[in-house]
Amino acid sequence: MVKQKILEVKNSDVTGTVNDFLKNLLKSGKISALLVSQSVPSRKVVFPVLISDPDKLDAKVFAPLLPASTSKIVSKITKFQPSDKPLGVVLHPCQIRALIELVKLNQANLNNIIIIGVDCLGTFSLNTYADFPEKKNPIDFILDDFKSNSDKSEQFLRSACVVCNQPVPINADIIIGLFGMDINKEILIEAVSDSGIKILEDLKLDTFKDVKKREKYIEDLIGNRTKKLAAFIKDKTGNIDIESLTSFFDKCVNCHNCMNVCPICYCRECLFDSSVFDAEANKYVKKSESKGLFKLPNDSLLFHLGRMNHMILSCVKCGLCEQGCPMNIALMDVFIPAAENAQKEFKYQPGKNRDEKVPMVVYREDEYVEVGEK
Amino acid sequence: MTKDSSKNFEPNIVAFLCNWCSYAGADLAGTSRIKYPPNIKSIRVMCSGRVDVVFILESLRNGADGVLIAGCHPGDCHYQSGNYKTNRRVLLTKKLLGELGIEPDRLRFEYVSASEGQKFANVVTDFVNNLKRMGPIKLPREG
Repeated sequence: MVKQKILEVKNSDVTGTVNDFLKNLLKSGKISALLVSQSVPSRKVVFPVLISDPDKLDAKVFAPLLPASTSKIVSKITKFQPSDKPLGVVLHPCQIRALIELVKLNQANLNNIIIIGVDCLGTFSLNTYADFPEKKNPIDFILDDFKSNSDKSEQFLRSACVVCNQPVPINADIIIGLFGMDINKEILIEAVSDSGIKILEDLKLDTFKDVKKREKYIEDLIGNRTKKLAAFIKDKTGNIDIESLTSFFDKCVNCHNCMNVCPICYCRECLFDSSVFDAEANKYVKKSESKGLFKLPNDSLLFHLGRMNHMILSCVKCGLCEQGCPMNIALMDVFIPAAENAQKEFKYQPGKNRDEKVPMVVYREDEYVEVGEK
Repeated sequence: MTKDSSKNFEPNIVAFLCNWCSYAGADLAGTSRIKYPPNIKSIRVMCSGRVDVVFILESLRNGADGVLIAGCHPGDCHYQSGNYKTNRRVLLTKKLLGELGIEPDRLRFEYVSASEGQKFANVVTDFVNNLKRMGPIKLPREG
């Protein structure tokens, strides 16, 4: 069976074309419900909804917005019990990677889950999206920008998206592809896994031919972004030392929002939300006396460093922590270099291989002997 | 204990010692009357694998200049794999400490068995000398 097919776009209505495809999947019963972004009643932003009635589907698959961690939503839906009926989930590439990590951490179950990945054009922050300064709406703006091959939308992208070198979904069952396509005319629908093939096999669609063009486009895009990422890391790594790190977190109000929105921070009760660091009055006074002064609340740096140690190897660099920060702390400046370097050290790429375990639960008897045995 | 960077600087070390090996190793060093610097404050843990990164950060934040974790030799862990996992975790924490401008060598992981009193003394002496060279830890005035 042909794995790559095309959806013909009518009247340049890209969103509508994809919606017809998704409606068909729901109507045919190949999926019973679909998790996808759709406009909220105010029409200002889009939020994920779980749709089972095809007539109610008005998805905004290409909306440049990631309002919440969709991987965490899939985890919420499946962690107690896998779905009995096939459930489609439309995810950004970073959220697929996060979902794979959550599966490895036993926080989600992919039984009966059909992952539909979308080529990601990047996302705007919630605020930028809701009060978009241009005349067009953000979806048309980013699609037109993509069609005309310009980079006007880059100024609005979240910093994580600007340097993202994984904009093509991996580990999806079905991919909705834009890159290297003339989206006025056609969109790619690709079946990647067996369950994806089963869903697409009896759809009467034309075969995708211009594979080379898409491959070349993706290669160039990833090459370009990888260069940007390397420059970003070089720029940020040199600037961080312990002095600047403290001032970096100066504005932190200890709300722990970065933790709550992080797809990887799954602990139901976080150590930093507990009272283990609380002590008797006399201890506080004693601490104050030993140095003459004692800043309170006193655990913001401990929280950030501790959290970083716990989640960094699975960090998918989605940047939701930065979007969720009420004080606009540029968390990506610290987390992207830290994640890249730590993951390189363990030769681990989060979200890449479903069968590979997270580095902290496995070991080899002969590794890192230089620490002790010589 | 002085915390200035003068020659007389005596580093503060928090040592997490495994109940089954290193703690007994430290004991043996004592009963054998082997001399080692008095800079360490030992904390007995049931396994070096019990040491979470928060223990390390909390120690450094509260005035330790270095943290020593000592556990069983590879293959000897009382719980099969605790020491291997500590090994990985220490490597990660060192990497991140380095990223953030704190000398990674302020954290040290060693294998010390119950019979290695001399090795324990050597490790502590060496660590103290290293920390003396590094000087007091530079941390933000957080607490």
